[in-house]
Amino acid sequence: MPQFTPGSSFIADNRRKFMDPTKKLEKLRDIAEEDVVRLLAHRAPGEAYKSIHPPIEELEEPDCSVREMVKPTPGAAAGDRIRYVQFTDSMLFSPATPRIRPMMWFNRYRGVDPGVLSGRTIVEARERDVEAIAKEYMDNETYDTARTGLRGRTVHGHSVRLDQDGLMFDALRRWARDPNGDVKYVKDMVGGAMDKEVVLGKPLSEDELLKRTTMFRNAQGGAWMETDDPEVADVVAEIHWNRTWGGFQPFIKRDQIKGNKDVGVKGMKLYTPRGGVE
Amino acid sequence: MAKIEDKVDLYDDRGNKLLGDVPLTAISPVRNPAIRKITGMVSRLAAVDLAGLEKKLSAGAIAGKQMVIRGKKLDVDIVGNSESIASQVKEMIQVEEGDETRAEIIGGGKRLLVEVPRARILADYSAAKTNVCAAVTQALIDTFDISMWDAYIVKSAVWGMYPQDPAMTGCVVATLVDVPISNEGPGFALRNIPVNHLAATVRKRAMPGACLSMILEEAACYEMGDAVGPFERGHLLDFAYEGLNANNMLYTLVKENGQDGTLANVVYDLAEKAKADGVAKPKVKLESGYTVYSTDDLQLWNAYAAAGMLAAVMVNCAAMRAGQPVPSSIMYFNEMLEQETGLPGVDYGKAQGSSVSSSFFSHSIYGGGGPGVFHGNHIVTRHAKGQFIPCFCAAMCIDADTQYFAPSRTSGLYGEVLGTIPEFAEPMKAVAEGAKEIM
Repeated sequence: MPQFTPGSSFIADNRRKFMDPTKKLEKLRDIAEEDVVRLLAHRAPGEAYKSIHPPIEELEEPDCSVREMVKPTPGAAAGDRIRYVQFTDSMLFSPATPRIRPMMWFNRYRGVDPGVLSGRTIVEARERDVEAIAKEYMDNETYDTARTGLRGRTVHGHSVRLDQDGLMFDALRRWARDPNGDVKYVKDMVGGAMDKEVVLGKPLSEDELLKRTTMFRNAQGGAWMETDDPEVADVVAEIHWNRTWGGFQPFIKRDQIKGNKDVGVKGMKLYTPRGGVE
Repeated sequence: MAKIEDKVDLYDDRGNKLLGDVPLTAISPVRNPAIRKITGMVSRLAAVDLAGLEKKLSAGAIAGKQMVIRGKKLDVDIVGNSESIASQVKEMIQVEEGDETRAEIIGGGKRLLVEVPRARILADYSAAKTNVCAAVTQALIDTFDISMWDAYIVKSAVWGMYPQDPAMTGCVVATLVDVPISNEGPGFALRNIPVNHLAATVRKRAMPGACLSMILEEAACYEMGDAVGPFERGHLLDFAYEGLNANNMLYTLVKENGQDGTLANVVYDLAEKAKADGVAKPKVKLESGYTVYSTDDLQLWNAYAAAGMLAAVMVNCAAMRAGQPVPSSIMYFNEMLEQETGLPGVDYGKAQGSSVSSSFFSHSIYGGGGPGVFHGNHIVTRHAKGQFIPCFCAAMCIDADTQYFAPSRTSGLYGEVLGTIPEFAEPMKAVAEGAKEIM
């Protein structure tokens, strides 16, 4: 049974839950498949998938043992184009974070190409595979309708204050809040026009977000890694020690190196008070 | 020479045992005869584009397509006279009867393959390129009786922009290794070969492709001074486990995760294998129940991790039948392995570091490029030494032509020429046979 990632806090538990493929992620909403296609804007709803090569079965593949051993995903088998879905996660306690997304997808999906950039996380895959990922990850608990954004371009918002409706800032105003509190998309992922609006539903409450987040954040009531879950930083410190050991002389024993023999850096003085510095 | 006592069993790309109890020293690039032949030929083979040369001369495009001087053109039938040109080149290049020299016509006279004899390389491998350039220039002047007033056109068409540009832009003589001025640093010559050339050479078979790529990377590490003394064992272990499918670990990891495994499954399988083999040992159990692992043999751990990394790339890229996920696969294989065990990722963090920058360069974020044109001689790829670039070659072998820079587009000539040489076409078998000779 994999350990996935260290930590004894609920944040670490949430991270492991997101990563562990044996754990089913809670479904919070059910966005129609047609609406997901509409939001992604790669093809029109109902339009056939375009392909970049014939189906694998019809191709004469090279005599390669790896191709023989590894089954293609449904999209790859059909020869679909490679497309993407991209999420922006607000640093104000969105459930998922840019760091956890690729680790989650690499545990749960085959044939994916995620990339973490400044405040947004893209995943590229064959078109029908992308649509499946987009649907699942807009429906489930990793997505909050106000703190998570579906953004193909002009992605900024991750580290910006929320707007007056409590939504993450969006320079393209892709989304809006209905008077009843529902969040709806009025433009597609790249800010283009849609033939109809897509309603995602109500955001989670602040308490729920604080409970579900995978983010350590020493502010606004969030968990503080250094004191609330030092194990996480200790393992990072251990990895760093071991990397440095290997970079120096990988043929000696670790305990021959002068200095810390334990895991983590003990007695590190923290200057930041709880709650951070405003 | 450092004393290395480890032994491994070598397996081919289909999990068949090639040779048992192979001392690591027998796969060393400075000792193994097959590797020496491969590296030797890489630095001494030159391909001349005769059809291209004829076209350039007839168009006055004497130093490349944008270097046209109107009126300065020569209409000469180079392709039609290729046999004669080849024999003249051979005569000029040959040092003594029976040496390695050959000059063969390929593609009905459109191309000429020249192998320059070892004797011509006294200190600098560029002698292969310069000698072939000079010989082709002379052969053309003689064959077509070019006058003194037109000879410079031939010279410029063959040599390209040399000497204005020491990198010889527009030169019709292609060698696998580039001129020294194009190298990132000392010892980088063998790292300067785009992976597509190697993928085309092995007919897009992922494991032999990764092997051929790793032969060149590891040989370069020796030339860079990175595999000296106690560091040599680390390189040989990496090479054995990642490039040569030692103990069938690479094959098994791919096989067991091929049908429904994810990249993460490869990470966890590799960690379990390392624990079972005693390479990773529990160090301490933390409050949450998480166990931190340590190792008594960090070089062997690195070799296990390197094999796992290539397997993870193979599983994820082959599921997508695309080469593009190679940097992200490298990044998160290492990230998740470190988070799973507390032990360092491949090349002690350097593979993961290189994957960050190569993600940008392979996804058209910083300009046009693709994993197929990657090699180890670049600021975004060079830091992990030996283990990193073979993953790119494997990924391009698996790619179902989703990339603009596909091997068929960039490397047809190399595949045609090198694919006929047994050591290049079947590098895993060749290294095993070479090891047997010196065991």
